[in-house]
Amino acid sequence: MSASAPLVRGAHPLAISAGVALAAICCIALLAMLPGGATLAQQIVSGLMLGGIYVTVAVAFTLTIGVLNFLNFTIPTMFMLTGMVAWGLARWGLPFGLSGGLHWALALLGGIIVSIAASLVVERFTFRYLKTRHGDATEHAIPLVSSLGFLLIFEHLVLIVLGSEAQSFPVRFRLDWHLGPLVLGLPQLASLLLSLGIVFWLSWLLTSTRTGRALRSIAESPDTATLLGVEVTRIVPIVFLLSGLLCGVAGALFVVNYSDVSPFMGEHVGTKAIAAMVLGGLGSIWGAIAGGLLVGLMETLGIHFFGGDAAQVVVWSALLAAIVLRPQGLFGGTRIGKGKL
Amino acid sequence: MPDEVLLRLEGLTKSFGGLKVVDDVSFEVRRGARLGLIGPNGAGKTTVFNLISGVYPIDAGAITLDGRAIATLPPRDRVLAGLARSFQNIRLMPHLSAVENVMLGQHARASGLGALLTPISWMPRGRWRREAEALLAEAGLDIDPGEVVSALPYGIRKKIEVVRALASRPKLLLLDEPAAGLNPAETAELARFLRAIATTGTALLVVEHDMGFVNEVCENVVVLNFGRRIFAGTMADARLDPTVREAYLGAEEDPAHAA
Amino acid sequence: MSGYWAGILAILAINIIFAYGIFVTAAAGQLNLGGAGFMAIGAYAAAVLGEQLGWSPALTVPAATLVTALVGFAIAFPVLRTRGVYMVLATFAFAHVVTGVILTQPALGGAMGLVVPDYVDLPVLIGAAIATTLLVFWLMATRLGLAMRALHDDELVSTLMGVPARAVQVASFAIGAGLAGLAGGLYAHHFSFVEAQYFSALLSIYVLLFVLIGGTQTAWGPLVGATFFTVVPELLRIGGSWRYVVFGAIIVAMMMFRPEGIVTRTLLARIGFRRRRVADAR
Repeated sequence: MSASAPLVRGAHPLAISAGVALAAICCIALLAMLPGGATLAQQIVSGLMLGGIYVTVAVAFTLTIGVLNFLNFTIPTMFMLTGMVAWGLARWGLPFGLSGGLHWALALLGGIIVSIAASLVVERFTFRYLKTRHGDATEHAIPLVSSLGFLLIFEHLVLIVLGSEAQSFPVRFRLDWHLGPLVLGLPQLASLLLSLGIVFWLSWLLTSTRTGRALRSIAESPDTATLLGVEVTRIVPIVFLLSGLLCGVAGALFVVNYSDVSPFMGEHVGTKAIAAMVLGGLGSIWGAIAGGLLVGLMETLGIHFFGGDAAQVVVWSALLAAIVLRPQGLFGGTRIGKGKL
Repeated sequence: MPDEVLLRLEGLTKSFGGLKVVDDVSFEVRRGARLGLIGPNGAGKTTVFNLISGVYPIDAGAITLDGRAIATLPPRDRVLAGLARSFQNIRLMPHLSAVENVMLGQHARASGLGALLTPISWMPRGRWRREAEALLAEAGLDIDPGEVVSALPYGIRKKIEVVRALASRPKLLLLDEPAAGLNPAETAELARFLRAIATTGTALLVVEHDMGFVNEVCENVVVLNFGRRIFAGTMADARLDPTVREAYLGAEEDPAHAA
Repeated sequence: MSGYWAGILAILAINIIFAYGIFVTAAAGQLNLGGAGFMAIGAYAAAVLGEQLGWSPALTVPAATLVTALVGFAIAFPVLRTRGVYMVLATFAFAHVVTGVILTQPALGGAMGLVVPDYVDLPVLIGAAIATTLLVFWLMATRLGLAMRALHDDELVSTLMGVPARAVQVASFAIGAGLAGLAGGLYAHHFSFVEAQYFSALLSIYVLLFVLIGGTQTAWGPLVGATFFTVVPELLRIGGSWRYVVFGAIIVAMMMFRPEGIVTRTLLARIGFRRRRVADAR
């Protein structure tokens, strides 16, 4: 990563975000008070809530790309694994009849653990084997292709074990907070705040801890990092652990809020999260936040104005245009991680 | 009568970051000449090559090849104008065979849709392939031309790179450390080969650290140090020049005793 | 030939053509993760031309190929400005835009799909597959093919050898798109029905994966890859989702131990294509 686009930009990000959030809240409130603006304001709020989910997954993507130069297609699958495994655990309990149906919180925890485990399996069998041989044009894609292989493995194992039907997670919170003409789902608001909180925690991790600095140095230059004594082979799994955790949390929050789980939920969210990552800039966490919220907004408003399918076209076209016209997105630098280790 | 001077560099300058890697370098290569470009490590020799061949744009100065200003031409057009080069770290196409790498070098001469679309790999007796194999043979490479180069030993790959550069029948051949890593027998043979090439009219500009090799192959040398030209003349005079001696002694190399 | 194996052979023929479409761009160093989008363009072009203009397959299929190649040509310019992972994402996004547009156009059948007139039988598919195979072998044997393979290995040095990188990349992208379109047109007429949901992201992923498994160094690769993906699971009687679990596991293993794919040039040399020494040439 070039110095112009570190994973985390300095300059009191918390202050900037708080400012932006406050401004956004004021705008939405104003809009809600205008005649006829309430529906639009509601849509914007819903879009932001949805965006919160995308943010977390987008951050997982962007972290992996920023540090390791690896577009990990297994990430949306881990999101799906969390949801489906949680549902399975809640429905049937632990495998081999070790218990009956689990309490929903334990089931979600189980889902998150499986997500992290899956992520570490991917690390073990993709990244560790990567040796830069000739540096030809398609070599960068070797881990990407592996991740596609894992995508197939996990997705079809889920289809085999848990079926192909969409399901409902047994617990769903409905607690609405009526704020003037707006209806805020409290669980959704909580998710948004939780997602953002985790992402802020992550950026604190990257700036203020030793592990974080090690990760950023690898993103900057893996050779220099090794020279400086960073134990690359021990740090790299941490990236996978973090992305597994992020996907797990996103999956759990999604399940609690929307209750729908299916073996294909990863595809829907994954593609939006990729779009969010690109719009925000590959390798930039703040970009992933901005991108995630933006994509959530675009999708919700798009559906509101144009209908479901057209909204998809809008989002995908925006992504294609962004890649071609401004690949560095909003916050990204012109180069992403050189982390070929 | 064509101009005697084939390549003229005037005031060539290039900086990376704040560092001036090439600083106001000027020299000439005459048609059919053999010129050595020498200097301690980090003197900017490979960068000069990269500027001439168009890998980097110049910051200042001019490059003229056969009367034509090439400094603003894209790399591809410089090849078409008669320039070819080899690389310090071998950059052959690892998945192609020896003869295919050489035929790639012919690309600049094989213009036109017809040449582009003839199935040369199916024509072992075809003119391009036979020419490529002949070039390999002339270089003393007794190998299976169909062998994929990633399987070949270092010394042989180094030579194939030179042959590849020759395949475009250049007016000027830039060779970046062609003898690095070769054993004495291979080095001597390469020197013989290069002298033979020059008799056909191709000019050579050779970057090398092996002073014996430079002495064998080159008539004159240009010495760079810290990006500046500090000497131009014969090898013998270079050995005696105080600035040159200082440059080398400072870098643990004495041209009088090297090689 | 039993109906079952005839069906497999039909799918194999289409997969081979599709595979060559992805292979041509991959051999030149670019990964196209939007193959299904191009196949969809070809399929729908054939369907619409057959339905609206009443053209026979002898016309619709070549027209579909040409249309897809032109779209590939047009899209190559912006997409080839991107590199590496961006290029993968751009092609991925493009395929989604294509299916998205199809789904929103009632004239194209929307989510209901389109019925395609004029059935095309197995011999035609096999003939097309053979022709495509010969075409790509020939292409790889030309100087254009050599330039493509050189670009795959080292774009900078290829440029320094005089290869017009952008032109060759656009050509390989357009040719690849055209072949994917050909596969689509044949698919449309053989199965008599097209729907956007078939041309999914997973389809793009499958074809890229089995092309990479087969190997991108030589034109034998796609044959091996397509056969492996289409026929081997049938032979081993692996059904349904397990087929893809095994496929995924093989991908992971290949990337660990043999990322260049099954068929490589060194493998071909060892199988024993004639070896000659330079001295023999004189």
